[in-house]
Amino acid sequence: MPIVIEKLTYTYQSGSVNAFTALKDIDLTIKDGEFVGLIGHTGSGKSTLIQQLNGLMQPTSGRVIVDGYDMSDKKQRAKGRSLVGMVFQYPDYQLFDETVYKDISFGPRNMKLDNDEIDRRVREAMRLVGLDFDEFAEKSPFELSGGEKRRTALAGIIAMYPKYLVLDEPMAGLDPAGRRAVLEMIDGFRSQLGCAVVMVSHSMDDIARSAEKVVVLRDGRIFTCGTPQEIFSLADELYEMGLEPPFAARMASDLRRRGLLLPHGIYTNEALAAALAEYKGGRGNA
Amino acid sequence: MLSVRNVSFSYDNGSRALNDVSLDIDRGEFVCIVGHNGSGKSTLAKMFNGLLLPTEGSVTVDGMDTADDEKMLDIRRLVGIVFQNPDNQIVTTVVREDVAFGPENLGVPPDIMAVRVDEALKAVGMESYAESAPHMLSGGQKQRIAIAGMLAMEPQVLILDEATAMLDPMGRRDILNIVRELNKQKGITVVMITQYMEEAVGTDRMIVMNDGSIVMEGTPAKVFARGDELRAIGLDVPPAVELRELLKQMDVADCGDAMTLQELSASICRSLLKN
Repeated sequence: MPIVIEKLTYTYQSGSVNAFTALKDIDLTIKDGEFVGLIGHTGSGKSTLIQQLNGLMQPTSGRVIVDGYDMSDKKQRAKGRSLVGMVFQYPDYQLFDETVYKDISFGPRNMKLDNDEIDRRVREAMRLVGLDFDEFAEKSPFELSGGEKRRTALAGIIAMYPKYLVLDEPMAGLDPAGRRAVLEMIDGFRSQLGCAVVMVSHSMDDIARSAEKVVVLRDGRIFTCGTPQEIFSLADELYEMGLEPPFAARMASDLRRRGLLLPHGIYTNEALAAALAEYKGGRGNA
Repeated sequence: MLSVRNVSFSYDNGSRALNDVSLDIDRGEFVCIVGHNGSGKSTLAKMFNGLLLPTEGSVTVDGMDTADDEKMLDIRRLVGIVFQNPDNQIVTTVVREDVAFGPENLGVPPDIMAVRVDEALKAVGMESYAESAPHMLSGGQKQRIAIAGMLAMEPQVLILDEATAMLDPMGRRDILNIVRELNKQKGITVVMITQYMEEAVGTDRMIVMNDGSIVMEGTPAKVFARGDELRAIGLDVPPAVELRELLKQMDVADCGDAMTLQELSASICRSLLKN
């Protein structure tokens, strides 16, 4: 079953003079196994929204239903929450145990799995995130590089086999190869574990590569929602909102402005190069 | 201004982060250092103001050796560093006090300091936030405050150690523009360490690190012409350069050394829109 968000509104410090409504009237469904990209400028409500998904915060009005569990009900919330794995932007805040092994096994241990199953899952999770077991299992998380810490935090979450994986800026601070590796890793365990992924990222180029659905938040509301192709056709509007649409989408838009007739819906360099090749070929034939 | 001579550095656990690195950075230069995570670029950054001292070799700032204890204060005054995580750099509860924290420690008199703080906040476009609480600001605004805190010390060199890594695109654009202005208008020497290849475009010189050594050096145009070598060490080229490479391979257009959207777009139109 999916995650269903109905008419969700959330107000910080509701009722006080400092009351601030961060989310307004959000309707959104995250289907089983779906890859959803969530974008929006700082302060648009992205972080507030993802914290609703595992019941860290509860709606001021409206409902969040995770796999049939109503997250505003305390008992159901515990069940719903166990299905949602969250990885935050700063892995430093998420790692706390003496060794990488202990850190990754913390979640499965809390699930009261037996030791053999815990061991199997830790090894599997480490393999999926590309951490060599012999090299890293006994290391302290604090000896790790930024990229390794992030992998460890991810491994700790996927070892719990979440049905929905929520990632807040999983590529921030990584080098280009690290960014590619994390994206491939997410695709990898999505296909292996069948989990849905909700990824918050400033990099629309990264979202463009993997997401099936893109949700754009603006001032606490859903500004628009659709396929990458639909969303990135709005390159100019997104750019004016302070976002950075995929380079190829902005480039295509600029070329059109300069009088080059290109088809709409281009958002990768490969597609843009192909369209330009076709343009050149077509002109040659004419 | 900065001179790094045959510097090697090993951390306490024995891992070697820098291997015989030599480098000179001139006064007023805008230099960009790139390299994959763990390539040694952040270690190098911390050498520039003596936060780390070389295991072998020497680093001098305006002729002063960073290993000389007596020069430490002068060096810290000349070289300011802004780090990646803005939350770790904010120390007080009011923006104005935070910006004043550094100069206060250097013993700047209060009347002069008030002027400096105002100017620093103005330079980063945050003058209207002087009395705000730093924790209420966005990441980009916090980084601007961190930069203002450095400016209030009137440094001659500003080091940005992945200072834009955690910011949104708008925050990144703002910080880059501010730093470019400081370099151009005030002649402050800038060393920018980054993971974003497009940020290197427009700097005077790029330095590419790999496994503790400098492996490439030159103008961004020269370095980005070597895309395959960059990818081989876990780096990349800016998206405009990637598209340029594709167009050349497919024999669609030769766009020379265009590195930005505007340059590439103009160049493509020149070759495809001929009447």
